[in-house]
Amino acid sequence: MIKQITAIALATSAFFLLTGCGEDKKVETKTYKYTTVQVYEKSCIKCHGKHGEGNPLKKTPALNDRSAGEMAEDLYDIRNGGTSAQSSGTDHEIMEHNMQKLIDKGYDYDINSMAEFLSYLAKNK
Amino acid sequence: MKKNELLEEILAEVDKHPEIMSRRDAMKYLTMSPMAASIIAGATVGATTVSASDAKGKILIVGGGLAGMSTAARLTNTLSDPDITVIEPNPLSTSYQPGQTLVGGGIWDKSEVMYNRDEFVPNGVKLIKGAVTAFDPDNNKVIVDGKKEVTYDQMIIATGLMLNFAAIKGLTGEITSCNPDNAEAKKTIGKDGVHSIYFQDGSEATWTGIEELIAKAKKWKKGEPKLQAVFTHPNTPIKCGGAPKKIMYLTNAQLEKAGVRDAVELTFYPNGGKMFGVPEYHEAIVNQFKARGFKWNYKHNLVEINKETKTATFNHHWTEKGAWDEDLEEYGVELKSKHVEVKYDFIHVTPPMKAPDVVAHSKVGSSKGWVPVKKETLQHVKYKNVFCLGDVVAVPMGKTGGSARKQYKVVVNNVISAMEGDQKAIDTTNTKYAGYTVCPLITSIGTVMLAEFNWTKKPTPMVPLDPTQERWIWWLLKVYLLKPMTQIGMLSGRA
Repeated sequence: MIKQITAIALATSAFFLLTGCGEDKKVETKTYKYTTVQVYEKSCIKCHGKHGEGNPLKKTPALNDRSAGEMAEDLYDIRNGGTSAQSSGTDHEIMEHNMQKLIDKGYDYDINSMAEFLSYLAKNK
Repeated sequence: MKKNELLEEILAEVDKHPEIMSRRDAMKYLTMSPMAASIIAGATVGATTVSASDAKGKILIVGGGLAGMSTAARLTNTLSDPDITVIEPNPLSTSYQPGQTLVGGGIWDKSEVMYNRDEFVPNGVKLIKGAVTAFDPDNNKVIVDGKKEVTYDQMIIATGLMLNFAAIKGLTGEITSCNPDNAEAKKTIGKDGVHSIYFQDGSEATWTGIEELIAKAKKWKKGEPKLQAVFTHPNTPIKCGGAPKKIMYLTNAQLEKAGVRDAVELTFYPNGGKMFGVPEYHEAIVNQFKARGFKWNYKHNLVEINKETKTATFNHHWTEKGAWDEDLEEYGVELKSKHVEVKYDFIHVTPPMKAPDVVAHSKVGSSKGWVPVKKETLQHVKYKNVFCLGDVVAVPMGKTGGSARKQYKVVVNNVISAMEGDQKAIDTTNTKYAGYTVCPLITSIGTVMLAEFNWTKKPTPMVPLDPTQERWIWWLLKVYLLKPMTQIGMLSGRA
């Protein structure tokens, strides 16, 4: 009986595997300690500036020179140690370290939301 | 496609290599296993799941590889009155690229992965045999071969990416995976122990290279320094992120088969600091490496090859504890690096990869080159009538045929919504791309670990088997089922 159930489960899931009907419908919800704007104003602003203009003295890059889509990609790279799934590594080794420290302090945020906020800052500088 | 047609196609593939799996064993799997049966069932239904649309508009698809041509096919199946043009210069654009690993590993013949573009152009789709030389998205047009203007209402960019061998000092060529126009790369790659499965001719040459290594190893005597086989992984996003490791596993398997494994040391030099972004798979691969006696050195990026001295130079980089950072309220880190020289008898190069210059430097490109989109909808961040998929799109972990198989359905739905003027559907109700990708990691001749995952960076196996295990059944899937699934199912817009 157990075998039969496993077989049915296998059959169903393989069907999803190869037809794409199982496209991820689950949405993960995550709650953050601060809002995106709060994270920026309490933390990011210290090095990246009021309008995301960066600080040459600290060698911190400007954040107001790219679209929200590009920014989201960069933030993903920093958060995950790279955009590749395997062994390419990250373009942002220093910020990768810093971001983990900041997450420990509660300054975590949603990547898409932060990217949108930064593009808003860039447009209103 | 009829069920029997697909089954016959799979069995014909199996018949080519009776030494690995007999037709009888394959039949056993295919007919006894409910999983395989449902795979076949799945491939034969698809067409009815797409609802017809009367939306109108001129659709231009730039690039007719797997991503572009499958999108053209699915749009053709879906629209009642399609007006679709595909621009593609490469006569072999629809070749089966995932098979290049198997060609390089001596399992398949090159002819088994070569597929002519012209046989995959869906009925009614116009094909322009040329290359886009300029994008003008503000005026909804592109220029082909420097002279011909082509206009559109909706554009889909699926150009694929460039293998930038020339970025490594001592190597040459900036080519694509299956365009036979690759003479520049072949000047330095595919001989003298320097190989790459990343292009079709190179994959064939890789197997010759492995045979040469085996011949050398047969002359090796105990006490002599071991022969060095080196495998690289660059610092850019790459297509098929598992291939640099797969070819290492297959080299190992062939050395073992020839009884000369003891004569050779196999070392992996990746730019990054881990084997896999998903911790479960990372751990599984480290264990597989240990079990096979592989060595690995993280954070080494190949920068130069000296063919005279058979030396590879890597930029080795790492971080060290830096000064106290008042703003961070922590110690920061400093970047350190130095060049490291490594002798090789055989080196497999995974080249740095980039978006084609014509895309990167245009208004649809970005500072990093890849086409920026909203990653869930694959719609361009600036141009609402431009969509992008495949290797050229700027989404994390997206450069595999498995990703394209999820992406093209999202793009087709969204292009149709765009034609219907329904931006709201694109943003809200249409199915989103969740970053699904799959890496059937070949771990030996006969076993594969099926690593499936998405942006949550957790294993997302669709079948309830421990995904970190190497299994026979996935070898069957990778070697026998995925090619017919791709070449017949996906390129017809159904699977």
